[in-house]
Amino acid sequence: MIGLRSSLQRGIVGWIVFAAAMVLLPLFVGTGITRSFVFAMYLAIFAISWDIMSGRTGYISFGHPFLIGIGGYTSALLTYHLGWPLYFTIPAAIVITMIGGTLFFFPALRIRGTYFALVTLAFMELIYGLVQVVAPHVTGGTRGLSGLTSLVTGAIPNYYLALTVLLVLGFSMWLLIRTEVGTALSAIGMDEDAVRASGLNVTRLKLFAFMLSAFAAGLGGALYVHYLGSIAPRALFDVSFLFQILVACLLGGAGTITGPIAGAFFLTFLLEWLRPYIPGPERFLIYGGVALILYVTQPNGLHEMVRIALKRLSPLVAGKQTQ
Amino acid sequence: MTQILVQGLVLSGFYALIAVGFTLIFSVGRVLNLAYGSFLMLGGYIYYQGAQVVGLPKLPSLLIAAIAGAVFGMLVYRILVKRLSGNVVAVEISTLILAVVVQAAVILIFSPSPKSMWPLVPGVLRIGDASVTWNIFIAAVTSWVLLGGLFLFIGKTHMGRAIRAVSMDPKGAVISGINPERANILTWAISGGFGAIAGVFLATYTQLDPNMWVTPLIIAVAVVIVGGIGSIMGSLVAAHIIGMLETITTSLIAAELRGVATMVIIIAVLLVAPRGLFGKHEL
Repeated sequence: MIGLRSSLQRGIVGWIVFAAAMVLLPLFVGTGITRSFVFAMYLAIFAISWDIMSGRTGYISFGHPFLIGIGGYTSALLTYHLGWPLYFTIPAAIVITMIGGTLFFFPALRIRGTYFALVTLAFMELIYGLVQVVAPHVTGGTRGLSGLTSLVTGAIPNYYLALTVLLVLGFSMWLLIRTEVGTALSAIGMDEDAVRASGLNVTRLKLFAFMLSAFAAGLGGALYVHYLGSIAPRALFDVSFLFQILVACLLGGAGTITGPIAGAFFLTFLLEWLRPYIPGPERFLIYGGVALILYVTQPNGLHEMVRIALKRLSPLVAGKQTQ
Repeated sequence: MTQILVQGLVLSGFYALIAVGFTLIFSVGRVLNLAYGSFLMLGGYIYYQGAQVVGLPKLPSLLIAAIAGAVFGMLVYRILVKRLSGNVVAVEISTLILAVVVQAAVILIFSPSPKSMWPLVPGVLRIGDASVTWNIFIAAVTSWVLLGGLFLFIGKTHMGRAIRAVSMDPKGAVISGINPERANILTWAISGGFGAIAGVFLATYTQLDPNMWVTPLIIAVAVVIVGGIGSIMGSLVAAHIIGMLETITTSLIAAELRGVATMVIIIAVLLVAPRGLFGKHEL
């Protein structure tokens, strides 16, 4: 098995296989499945964003819809009211989301764990309330806005747009967590004071992770909203949206980047697979139940399950090779 | 002015009832039960089934709802929380998933459309030149009675003191011969029962719908944050701060700002005094 010795090399081969399969996929499936994949990929982008901020550092964000939502709203409002082209509004959305990310960062200087999770949840509920009350003639109030311009039209172009973003973002973040920065972020999750005591600038590391996360959330949020063509407070600033992001990350395996991507695909297609057999609302019960059982069985996610399975298999494989 | 005072006081009592079950679990088990809203929703729906579908009298229906809530609380602890004990994040996430599962189950059984509930006690109560509905007034009175009972239970009885001991120091409690398992399961039962009763009032105050678990969860979280962990007295005071401020904002500024005021208080308190106004323990 020459060339596949290190986990880095194996990982890169994995990414190439994944990219190739995804590029070829629309040739073999219909429009409906392509559109499901687009949703899965946007969920994966949001899951990656969550994973950068929370997966390793232990600063669990319950307010990611807040970041995604302000990215989406910024771009939507600028195109809808001022008619700016998307090439300006999407970068603007990213900048505004990163400013919003600093709102998460300030509490993270003082509070950790449960309290941090709750304050981010409060941010989400706060903006949900404010969007409907403050200037509803601008934001569209409770009903939101529809008829937004889209960057590209049709299932296939949108598929490749989302795929490009997912691959570039996912692969670069995957490389990043393999550097010393990734190790330091994990160390913050284990014992922040020890990291500080060993001379690393914890504040700068956290700020870096938060800004990166906000960048991904802003980019993904803006693109997603233009893909949908509409925006509404309850669609974005909602516990069920948060639920999807969180569960995708945790089922896949937080802190691993590849895990959350797998989790997002798994969740989206679990719903799709169940559709023909169980068309009614029972689907959501089974969907939630499966998520709960998987999570309770292995809180470290599918990534960990696969790793353990490979570890158990590897002596067998190695034994065969030596024979 | 009297109107704001009376309404604020009554709403605060109601909020204290909503929050107390959540506070109790947070201070004894050190875990956030994000499925707490489901206790309220379950209570509301079971009461509805009993009183408005089967046609039982109101009080037995309320009792059945409370017992069902207590049983559900014990099951959540036994099946989910105990298994993950020690991993605080896992408990938070799994209870959040459970809340969504319960929501799906409620949609399946009772349909997603909202249902309106008859008030427990119809009519309007006049105090001076202020008026509140009997329903919310009774909710506040129930809250005062239940909280008083809880205080007596925790302060005077052996089992109550055992619960308090576990909340202060689980290891020390075990050394003095207390079974923390029993204290925990009793806490979850009380939390579930109180939650279900609060849910009946919440459902009659607003309406029954499968999303109704989110608002009380947020209120409970706000009360715990403002009041601090490990202090039932603190959550009582916090419930009054939040209830009063909310009544003032909604009646003097704009009715749509209901939730916004609460969120601003949460964020402000977390930034100024992360352990809450009356927090005793470190997290």
